[in-house]
Amino acid sequence: MAPGQMDIQRALELLHMTVFSQSVSPCGKYLAAGNNYGEIAVFSLSAALSSEAKEESKKPVVSFTAHDGPVYAMVSTERQLLSAGNGEVKAWNWSDIVKKGCKEAWSRRPPYRSSLEVPEINSLQLNPKDNSLLLAGGDCSVHAMDLESGTFTHEFRGHNDYVHCLALRDQYQECLSGSEDGTVRMWDLRTGAQVQVIEVHKYEECSRPQNGKWIRCLATDCDWMVCGGGPALTLWHLRSVTPTTVFPLPHCQQHVMFYQDLVLTAAGSSHKVDVFTNFSYRAFSLCFA
Amino acid sequence: MSSDSSKKRKPKVIRTDGAPQESKRGRVDPDQDVKYYSEEAEVELRDPSKDYELYKQTCQELQRLMAEIQDLKSKGSKDSAAAIEERRIQSCMYFMTLKKLNRLAHIRLKKGRDQTHEAKQKVDAYHLQLQNLLYEVMHLQKEITKCLEFKSKHEEIELVSVDEFYKEAPPEISKPNITLNEPHQQTLARLDWELEQRKRLAEKYKECLASKEKILKEIEVKREYLSSLQPRLNSIMQASLPVQEYLFMPFDQAHKQSETARHLPPPLYVLFVQANAYGQACDQKLAVAIDGSVEDAKALYKPPEDSQDDESDSDAEEEQTTKRRRPTLGVQLDDKRKEMLKRHPLSVTIDLKCKDDSELHLVFYYLLNLNVLTVKSRVSTAAELSSPVSAGDLLSPGCLLSCLYPGDHGKRTPNPANQFQFDKVGILSLSDYVADLGHPYVWVQKLGGLHFPKDQPQHTVTAESSLSASHMELTMKLLRTRLQSRLALHKQFASLEHGVVPVSSECQQLFPSKVVARLAKWAALPYEDYLELHYTKDVVEAGLAEDTHLYYTVLVERGTAKLQAAVALNPGYSSMPPVFSLCLSWKGERTGSNDDNIRAMESEVNVRYRELCGPRPGYQLLTNQLQRLCVVLDVYLETECHDTSVEGPKEFPQEKMCLRLARGPSRMKPFKYNHPQGFFSHR
Repeated sequence: MAPGQMDIQRALELLHMTVFSQSVSPCGKYLAAGNNYGEIAVFSLSAALSSEAKEESKKPVVSFTAHDGPVYAMVSTERQLLSAGNGEVKAWNWSDIVKKGCKEAWSRRPPYRSSLEVPEINSLQLNPKDNSLLLAGGDCSVHAMDLESGTFTHEFRGHNDYVHCLALRDQYQECLSGSEDGTVRMWDLRTGAQVQVIEVHKYEECSRPQNGKWIRCLATDCDWMVCGGGPALTLWHLRSVTPTTVFPLPHCQQHVMFYQDLVLTAAGSSHKVDVFTNFSYRAFSLCFA
Repeated sequence: MSSDSSKKRKPKVIRTDGAPQESKRGRVDPDQDVKYYSEEAEVELRDPSKDYELYKQTCQELQRLMAEIQDLKSKGSKDSAAAIEERRIQSCMYFMTLKKLNRLAHIRLKKGRDQTHEAKQKVDAYHLQLQNLLYEVMHLQKEITKCLEFKSKHEEIELVSVDEFYKEAPPEISKPNITLNEPHQQTLARLDWELEQRKRLAEKYKECLASKEKILKEIEVKREYLSSLQPRLNSIMQASLPVQEYLFMPFDQAHKQSETARHLPPPLYVLFVQANAYGQACDQKLAVAIDGSVEDAKALYKPPEDSQDDESDSDAEEEQTTKRRRPTLGVQLDDKRKEMLKRHPLSVTIDLKCKDDSELHLVFYYLLNLNVLTVKSRVSTAAELSSPVSAGDLLSPGCLLSCLYPGDHGKRTPNPANQFQFDKVGILSLSDYVADLGHPYVWVQKLGGLHFPKDQPQHTVTAESSLSASHMELTMKLLRTRLQSRLALHKQFASLEHGVVPVSSECQQLFPSKVVARLAKWAALPYEDYLELHYTKDVVEAGLAEDTHLYYTVLVERGTAKLQAAVALNPGYSSMPPVFSLCLSWKGERTGSNDDNIRAMESEVNVRYRELCGPRPGYQLLTNQLQRLCVVLDVYLETECHDTSVEGPKEFPQEKMCLRLARGPSRMKPFKYNHPQGFFSHR
């Protein structure tokens, strides 16, 4: 390809790039972001947030192609960055990444039943109590993998459509999963049984049939749960399984999390990672090169 | 006194002067008693000092007598008369003594003078003799030196050196036994030898002259023969012209061309030579020619006297016109501008023929004062081209060659020095004049060997053939590709305007057999309107939509759904893909900014363009992109999840075979078509 064509190709890719996942390094200095082309870019937060930040600081320190499909989920352990691509999980050592070494530490594939299509992995959740990793995605079930041995211990089957998101109730060693089929299911991590099913779209307060019934995002605080997507963003009391507050937000939320007493939520797609130094305004954006 | 006594006598006394004169003696009467009395002889006998004493004495006596006389006279006595008389007689005697003394003195004087005179004469004679002798001595000396300086002519002759002489001369002449001893003989011998040699050489010279004459005559003869040959050769050349044409070897034409080429300005000459060379070596379908008036080209370089005459004429003319009417400032400025933008009368034409018999005609001009080359283009096709409305700009001379190399838009002059020239005559930019002058693309300058480095402006940029040679092949290839792609687009546009997306048989496998959404409209879009659209902002911000691009608007319809697309067509199509921006009007307006799936559809045609290029050289990219657009619209509409709150069936029942309807956090629809199974899946 001629250099001119390379530029056009990359320009078009940037135009159509979506950053799906991000993870902060254990030391807090670096931010890894994964996009829809399977690339992971590592930015230096300390450089970008410093007072001498230049345009160069908003470019990645290192970027590499991690997967051949989009990187939908990323999570960081104390020493490694785990990224999920098309049906596989790869681990990268943070120390190597920072030194611009881009070789994966290991790569695991959950056992899939059908081989017609490789399902994506939409969500990764770390369970520090028993050092395991929960993955959920296109094959409509939640897998649990032991990080020490790399074996897949449980498979939680039950959803009728693919799983969007996971949340961990570590007090009770339960995990919640939200899926395209419109349900939120709770699973006991020790026994592997389905504890509860909440059909969110059936509740009139929050359902928005014009958007669909899919649940995109989940966050839980052991007693409370926030979920959104097709239906409106709603705060649920888990013990009574009742929707307590419906947030009047128009769009379909992509991400939600509890932060102290606040609920943070975000929606949107581009090739930039917006950095907010405080909740009022966007300070600057990091962008893929 | 003897003298007194002689005086008293009355005999003839012949006084002689000393020199006895026999002749005079002859006359003397012999009767007389002649006494030869010579006072001269007497003088010699007397003593001058005694005479002097006598003189003094006599004077004293006279004085005394006079005094006595005086006394006696004063006394006045009677007897004094006798005394006085006595005294008188005495004084008379004394007077006579005095007279004799006087005579003696005179004679002495005369004698003395004579003697002196004689001596002087002698001395004079000697002196004269001396002078004569001296003169003769001098004369002789001169003669001697002359003789000594005498150079015999033989010394002026350069003789061969002695050693060589002995070596070369035959012994009869050199006679070494004699000549070695006597230099005189040696010189003589040498002279002889010299003479002989010169005689020989003179002979040779005569012979050579004669032979030279002969050869000159021969040359004349041959020259006449040759000059008679020239018209014969010309006639042969004329006769061979039809043969040349028949065999496709136009030597004559090439010769004429190179004649005309000599009058080309250097950049055009470089272009001509390099294009010719390239054409002969690599590309048979490239034809180079020179147009324009050679006379005008020659006139450009007329000698200054003519121009001075012109000046004086024009001055006279100008005066006349100023009397009638002053030319306005604007007209003067206009003339200056025209002068600045003047073209060289000759131009180089390059014709590129393609396989389908379409031709690209390029005419290259040279602007004299600006030192840049410009090009005008024209396309001719084998068959008459139907002109679709939207294809207006595709083949227009203004846009055809724009951005042949990325960024080379040809709107500004590539020579930075021209800006200063423009400022003087009020020209803002060359782009105002490109319609008339042609475009000054950078690749045109490179083909002419002109290089204008941006960071080191040079005073005079001269044409270099190496620059031209290194760019020729690539540029010609790009020109051909450009022509072909534009012609392909032209054909495609004709079909698109009729609502048919032409998909060739090789590309059928990219799409499912049944495509329901159809192309409703295809039209050209002005750049300003493209910028106004709300869904094209990202493309503009990413720098993918510039004013050199061509813009079109597309409408794809299915049922109530209308998909509007704005297409930014890069002049470098098809190596540079067109960029689509979508806006779907169906149950609200959805664009890439508010619907991830619309964004995914854009990605399918924009980012995945390599799949859609089709067979080389990839001119079907646009039509394949349009077809894919229709396909993904079908998928989008059919896979839209049914809104259960609204009554009625789904407007678009799902006919496409899909494994999954949604995938991933953005719930992506399955836009990827799999051939030959015919189902849709996710990427």
